[in-house]
Amino acid sequence: MIKIFLILQFSLPPLPVSEVVAKDVPNDAGGKIQIEWELSPDDSIIDFYTVFKQKKIEGQWSEPETLTVVRSGTNSLTDTDCKDGVEYRYFVRVSKGEEFSDSPFSNIAMSSAQWFHKKRASVLILLIIIVGLLLYFIQKTRKGEELFIRKIAGLDALDEAVGRSTELGRPLLFVLGLGTIADIPTIAGLSILKRVSKKSAEYETDLIVPCFDPVVFVAAQETVKEGYIEGGRPDLFKEGNVFFLSYDQFGYAAGVDGIMVREKPGAVFLQGYFYAESLILAETGNSIGAIQISGTTAVTQLPFFIAATDYTLIGEEMYAASAYLTKDALSLATIKGEDWVKILLIAVIILGIIFESIAFFTKIPWLHVLKNFFTVV
Amino acid sequence: MKKEVPLAITFISGFLLIVALFIPHEPFGSLQERFNDWYIIVSGFTLILGVDSLILYHWRKIKRKEKEAPYSIILISTFVIVLAWGIYSGVKYGNPFAPASSFLRYFYTYMFVPLQATMFSLLAFFIASAAYRAFRARGLNATLLLISAGIVMLGRVPKGEEAAPYFIGITLILLAIVSVLEGVSRVEVYEKIIFFGLAVVSIIAIFPAAWFLKFNLPRLADWVMNVPQLGAKRGLFIGIWLGAIAMAIRIILGIERTYLK
Repeated sequence: MIKIFLILQFSLPPLPVSEVVAKDVPNDAGGKIQIEWELSPDDSIIDFYTVFKQKKIEGQWSEPETLTVVRSGTNSLTDTDCKDGVEYRYFVRVSKGEEFSDSPFSNIAMSSAQWFHKKRASVLILLIIIVGLLLYFIQKTRKGEELFIRKIAGLDALDEAVGRSTELGRPLLFVLGLGTIADIPTIAGLSILKRVSKKSAEYETDLIVPCFDPVVFVAAQETVKEGYIEGGRPDLFKEGNVFFLSYDQFGYAAGVDGIMVREKPGAVFLQGYFYAESLILAETGNSIGAIQISGTTAVTQLPFFIAATDYTLIGEEMYAASAYLTKDALSLATIKGEDWVKILLIAVIILGIIFESIAFFTKIPWLHVLKNFFTVV
Repeated sequence: MKKEVPLAITFISGFLLIVALFIPHEPFGSLQERFNDWYIIVSGFTLILGVDSLILYHWRKIKRKEKEAPYSIILISTFVIVLAWGIYSGVKYGNPFAPASSFLRYFYTYMFVPLQATMFSLLAFFIASAAYRAFRARGLNATLLLISAGIVMLGRVPKGEEAAPYFIGITLILLAIVSVLEGVSRVEVYEKIIFFGLAVVSIIAIFPAAWFLKFNLPRLADWVMNVPQLGAKRGLFIGIWLGAIAMAIRIILGIERTYLK
C-alpha cells in the first residue's frame, strides 16, 4: 500500500516484470515464439506493458523493436513474425505515466517447424486401429463372409413412403438441408436421394429437390439423373425439378414451406445437415399430412425431427444408409468395423472412469494416463 | 477414365488432408487452408449455375402461365432490382453494404432482416405444436420426457423456482383426482387399491415435493442438463463421428461413389 501510494504521489517507476521466458511454439508450422512473464507486483496500477524484441544478425543483436503493447494483467503473448533458425530475445517494459522500468532479457529462443504434432498421437493411433479394423472386415467380406446389419426402420420405410405418395398421386419432396458438399451428412443424404429417385422412376412419381447450396444442387441433379437411369426411366427425369432455391437460411425454409403447401407432396424426406429451420420444415410437412422421413447428425435438431416426423435416422444411422440400402459387402464391412471400434471405445471409457475415480481418491498421478493421452489440441 | 480420374483425385486429396492433420511442417501445415480456398473458388463459380437454375425455374413458370406465375414475376424482378441496386451502390460507395449505401439501408434493413425475423419467429409456434405432440404422456418414455422438460423449463425461467411448488401442487392434486375417478370406475379390488393408493401418495407428496423444488429446482435442472442429457449427447457424438470416419474412409477408398456420375 505504501509503495502504491509512493508511486502515485511521487512518480516512482513501477516494479518491473520478472521471469521473462521465450520458447518455440510446439507442434506448429514454425515462425512463432511464445513469450511468458511474471506480472509486475504493481500490475494493478500500471498503464500497460510493452514487449520489445531483438534478433541476432551476423552475431550482433539488433536494436530493440516494439513487438506489441498489451494491457495490465496480460502475462503472455505469441510473436507470429519470426524467421525459423534466427535467434530472438525479448524484454518487457512496464509503464505508468511517464515512468517505466524494463525487465531483464529473456532467454534466447528460436522458432522451428515440427514434422509431427505430438498432441495428436492418440488420434493417429486410434485412426490406425479404426482403419486396420475396417480393412480387416473388408478383407473378410472379400473372402465371402456374410455380414449382418440390424433393421433400420427409417430406411425400410423409404420404399413405403414412395409407394404411398404414388398411390395418392402426389409428388415426393427431398430436402438436403443447409450442408455443403464438404459435409459428410450431405453426401449421406445424396446416397439416400439416389435410392429415392430410383424408386420414384420405377413408380413414375415426380421428385422435387430444392437445394440450398449451388454445389450440392449440381451434385443432386446428377444423382437424381443417375437414379432415374438406374430405375430404367431416364425419360421421366425432369431437370427443372432439381433446382437451386436460395442461399439464405430462412429464405430457403420459406421457399420449401411454400413448395410443401402448394404441391402437397405425399412424402417428404429431410436428409442432411439442418439448423434452426429443421422444425419449420418438419412441422409444415406434418401439417400437410405427408409421410416424413428425416435424418441428420445435428444433435440439437434431432429432438425436433423425432417429435415432428414419422421416422428419424439418428446420427450414424444416416451414414449407414448407403451400405444398408445397397447391401454392398464392402460398405457393410466398414459398418462392422465401426461397431468394433465402438466396443473398443466403450472399454476405454470404462477403464478411464475407473482410473480417474481411483486417482480422485488416491491422487496417484500416473492414473491420469488415459485422460492425458486422449486430451487433444 | 470417367470414374478413375475423380476417384484418384478423391483418394489423393483425402489422404493428403489426413497427413496434414499430423504434420504441421510446410507444405502440409497450410494444406487444409489452401484446399478450403480452392473450394470457395469452385463454389463461387457454381453459384452462377445456381442462379441460372433459379431464374430458369421461375422463367418456365411465367412462360407456362402457371398459377404461381405472379410470384415468379416478383422473384425475377426483385432479383434484377437488387442486383442493379447493389452494383450501383458498389460503384458509388465502393461496397454495396457500406453504411452510407441506400441499398443496405432500405432493402437489407427494412425488407431482408424483417423477413428473416418473421420466418425465425414462426419457430416459436412450431415448437409449441411439436412440444404438445412430444409431451403427451402416452407411455413411459413420453412421461419421462414431459417430467424432465418440465423441470428444465421451470428451472431455467426467471421466478421458476417460486412457481414450481404451485405447479407441482396443482399437478399432484389433478393426479389424485384422476386416480380417485379411475379407482371408482374399476371393478377389481386390487385395481381399486392401486388407484386409491396412488391418490393418497399424491396428496401426501404435495408438501415434500413442493418444498424440495422450491430450494433445489435450478440445481435439479442443471443436473438433468449436465448428466443424463450430456451423457446421451456424447454417446450420440461418438456414434456420429465414428460413422463419419467410416464414411470418409469409404469415400477415400472409392467404396462410396454416390457423388460420382
